[in-house]
Amino acid sequence: MNSALFVIYGVLLLGATGVAEYQGWSWSRVNQQRVLPKSIRDNPGAYRSSYGGYSRYIGGK
Amino acid sequence: MPAVQAKSISCPNCGGPVELRGFAHTLSVVCPQCMSVLDASTPEVQILQKFQGKTQIKPTIPLGTRGKLGGTQYQVIGFQVRRVASGDDTYSWDEYLLFNPYKGFRYITEYNGHWNFVHVETALPEQSRSAGKFAMRYGGKTYLAFDSMTASTAYVLGEFPWRVQTGDSVACQDFVAPPSMLSSEATGGEITWSCAEYMTGAQVWQAFQLPGSPPPAYGVFANQSSPYGASIGSSWRTWLWLNVGLAALIFFFMVLSPGHVAFSDHYAYSQGVKTESAFVTPTFQLDGRDSNVELKIHTDLDNNWAYFSFALINDQTGQAFDFGREVSYYHDSDGSEGSRNNSVIVPAVPSGQYYLRVEPEMDTGSPFMRYELELRRNVPNYGFFGLAALLLLIPPAFTTFRRASFEAARWRESDYAPSMSRLTSGGDD
Repeated sequence: MNSALFVIYGVLLLGATGVAEYQGWSWSRVNQQRVLPKSIRDNPGAYRSSYGGYSRYIGGK
Repeated sequence: MPAVQAKSISCPNCGGPVELRGFAHTLSVVCPQCMSVLDASTPEVQILQKFQGKTQIKPTIPLGTRGKLGGTQYQVIGFQVRRVASGDDTYSWDEYLLFNPYKGFRYITEYNGHWNFVHVETALPEQSRSAGKFAMRYGGKTYLAFDSMTASTAYVLGEFPWRVQTGDSVACQDFVAPPSMLSSEATGGEITWSCAEYMTGAQVWQAFQLPGSPPPAYGVFANQSSPYGASIGSSWRTWLWLNVGLAALIFFFMVLSPGHVAFSDHYAYSQGVKTESAFVTPTFQLDGRDSNVELKIHTDLDNNWAYFSFALINDQTGQAFDFGREVSYYHDSDGSEGSRNNSVIVPAVPSGQYYLRVEPEMDTGSPFMRYELELRRNVPNYGFFGLAALLLLIPPAFTTFRRASFEAARWRESDYAPSMSRLTSGGDD
């Protein structure tokens, strides 16, 4: 790769990394669309998590 | 070069006119009509060899063409095809003899579209070794041994400063320090050394103002400069500087994002207890700009698994960040699998008052589990830095690979093919 192109590529990459760090981006799967009622604090069992119901057996040697 | 009247003789074989452009230097000349090789060293021109071939070869650069090379104008006065038999294979290259009355003779060679400008050396090179290989030192350069062969003259045209004949053979050795090549030709106890500089077809075409475009070059020639030779050093230097930049970026975000603990508490969970497993934590404050939040889970699991459904909920707006994490840890005498701990980074969480809804799950019949939840605000995500470091490595690694491929192609044709680790040695000292 041409040296000047590599410099541009590297600077853009470092810039993107800086933006990702500053914005606090993450690869984690997170849902953030829900707006929950205040009653969840008093009745946490009433809330159905998107990630709930995990009951299969995993792991084991 | 001023146009000088060429001397002319008559061919004793066919009577046709034969021009002599090399003047007193010309010892033999080929009659352009009957292709007989004539002895031009004496006024009584004698036939050295009659043409035995079936076809005549037309040189790519016609005889008599003038061209400027290295600031000097030369005229093409001779042409020969030289042939090498290597096992079952036979290959040949073209040699053009150039003449300038003040500078003397030079040569241009062409093989598969690769060109070299050659001049005979008067000083002797010194035997040397480089990277464990046979080499020659000459003019401050180390030339690595490349190949050796016996070349014979297969076809001649024009005039020569020696008594040329088809069938003449010489023992040749080539040593390379791209873009230069040092060659020896041994015949009758005499060794002649010459030095060649690689030229592209376009440079030759421009020098001789030839019509059309040069034939394409095939493969990699012995002394062809690697197009990646100069860029590889600058590529790794740029990589080094960009990594310094990356290290500075990591340091900056370690200072900017210290990851202070916003919430931490210990809990216990038992599958057998017939109560609602979901609960909420006390509220805690997340300050500053929109930034990430890292939740770490530390458990005392032993040959078991647990799953945690989490919701990070803004107490004022009700906005929830919903996510889950599995923790599993198994071990036996053969080793272990998984971990008692896990973590998740929740991206771009606005500041505000938050609480966590936690819902642990375990396999039915599983025993008691203790665990700790620790939530940190504004943590560096080292995965991005690792990815950046990996992506920064691609250009120099690619350039290095291309250069190694180029050198491998060059040395595949050599009698002295070195190991890959030595391909980058040699050249200027």
